[in-house]
Amino acid sequence: MSILISILRQNWKARLGVLIVLGFVLLAIFGPWFAEFAPERRVGLPHQPPDGSHWLGTTRMGQDVFSQFVHGARTSLAVGFGAGFIVAALGTLIGVVAGYFRGKVDEFLTFLTNVALVIPNLPLLLVLAAFIGSASPLVIMLIIGFTSWSWGARVIRAQTLALRDREFVHAAELLGEPRWRIIGVEILPNLVSIVGINFIGSVIYAVLTQATIEYLGLGNPLDVSWGIMLYNAQNSAALYVGAWWEVLAPCVAIALLGAGLALLNFAIDEMANPRLRTYRLNRRVRQRMAALSGKEVSA
Amino acid sequence: MYFFLRRLGFYLAAFVVACTFNFLLPRMMPGDPVQIMFAQSGSTLGPEAMDALRATFGFVEGPIWQQYLIYLKSVFNWDLGLSVSFYPFSVNDVIGTALPWTLLLVGLSTLISFSLGSLLGIYAAWRRGGLFDSIVSPLALVMQSIPAVVLSILALFVFAVMLGWFPVGRAYGLDHDPAWSFAFVASVAHHAVLPLITLITVQVGGFLVTIRNNMINLLGEDYINMGRAKGLGDTAVMFRYGARNALLPSVTSFAMAFGFIVAGSLITEVIFNYPGLGRLLFNGINARDYPLIQGLLLIITVATLAANFIADLVYVVLDPRLRRS
Repeated sequence: MSILISILRQNWKARLGVLIVLGFVLLAIFGPWFAEFAPERRVGLPHQPPDGSHWLGTTRMGQDVFSQFVHGARTSLAVGFGAGFIVAALGTLIGVVAGYFRGKVDEFLTFLTNVALVIPNLPLLLVLAAFIGSASPLVIMLIIGFTSWSWGARVIRAQTLALRDREFVHAAELLGEPRWRIIGVEILPNLVSIVGINFIGSVIYAVLTQATIEYLGLGNPLDVSWGIMLYNAQNSAALYVGAWWEVLAPCVAIALLGAGLALLNFAIDEMANPRLRTYRLNRRVRQRMAALSGKEVSA
Repeated sequence: MYFFLRRLGFYLAAFVVACTFNFLLPRMMPGDPVQIMFAQSGSTLGPEAMDALRATFGFVEGPIWQQYLIYLKSVFNWDLGLSVSFYPFSVNDVIGTALPWTLLLVGLSTLISFSLGSLLGIYAAWRRGGLFDSIVSPLALVMQSIPAVVLSILALFVFAVMLGWFPVGRAYGLDHDPAWSFAFVASVAHHAVLPLITLITVQVGGFLVTIRNNMINLLGEDYINMGRAKGLGDTAVMFRYGARNALLPSVTSFAMAFGFIVAGSLITEVIFNYPGLGRLLFNGINARDYPLIQGLLLIITVATLAANFIADLVYVVLDPRLRRS
């Protein structure tokens, strides 16, 4: 815990990232209690600009944009984190098993991973969603989760292969430890940062992909989520009639959440790989290094 | 040579997997697959056209493996069936008219963002921790995580609707006929600016961060010091010693990123009403034109596999170690 706090104190990217993501999580959990209107109900005139009672204005259908925004945060975050969890879990499982067992198992799983990697993911998802028809957030979460694991599996397999020949793994094998224990106790803890990066990256991907699928009209238009908000705004030509508030809220939310998660990932990467840490050296050290190399050192 | 054959075999297998997926999907859905696929088409297509379409997708009497073989045969003959919403045009014809526009967008934006991102990333790594690096690198990462949907909508609103600098849609003005004239090319360029800028903004961050991180890892290596010790100038060490090696993982990640690039282009086309594959896919989805949707999945898969194969070739050119083995 104290390590986490010291990291947060040192790394502004981690600080800002945590702040943004935490803000959205709190908004998703508690926000709907503060939204006085039901998100799908007609509660005002169509396309009213933001004012005291409708903080973010109303849609073409007279629904309250703010209520839709906070209720949508629930759906979008749930789909993002849910799909991210499935992706990370599947990727880790397949990657570790392939890397650890090698041989035929590895050959098969690597082939599967590489195939899944080169088949373009979004078109595949769109075809799937088109056949399912009016995909609900839960369905979208599942199809993203089960089709997007390949990148993580590939990276984690490579890392497992590297770990597998280290002395401590050989020692555990010689001691006769069962395989599940070697994987769970010796190998997995060394993969934490990679799995973490994969998880956060997948959450970003899932949030963006859900918005894309729903924006294209493959979601259920009666649901409330940021993607559906964009879809409805597009259908009512909100931008062309100047109702920017209907579009801006979900756009800013998706971009901001993505940015927060990306900063978090950048920070984890720096923690796991000290070479990427680029603190400015203090002036005395820089001068001495400059004197040594005869050049100005900027790093 | 063996390397290439192996890769080719792999891409072929990947393509068959995509075909299998296309084959199984309508059959896995609840209800009658013929009903699902062709429910919209009964009124527009005549009975003979319907029968031809059914045969293309393997909906014939007989066991499922026989249906599968028939479907594979039509795919490998590149017979993707008739488009339901653009009848009487075939899926091939419809895709053929849209493909050049997507190639234009994807090709140009990828080329520009790869070069730009790599150059900026190399410089950021060279001056790591400096002012340029500490502003541009996190910014690149943030930009990368902003989806094409959001960026396209915002760009369209600000620069096309509000300021009116660029057209709000289409690939060229209505008053121009496609021809190699200056006016037509200028019109195409004017219409392509916003989608291109959007796509470059979405892509450039990824390339920048990848090469920056590779390069920083490399700059600690002995051969970099060796280059300096020989008295080579900064630019020579930076590009010939550092960047050449840092580019290798970038080429691999480029191949992996290609799917995302295509996805970004699809969505950008929809928002800018640009007549490429993305726009076509969107229309196909809205019209429930399943033969068209499946055909698009196949052609996008083929394009992605081809991009990966090209990345393999480039890799061999860049890395002499692979040529010897």
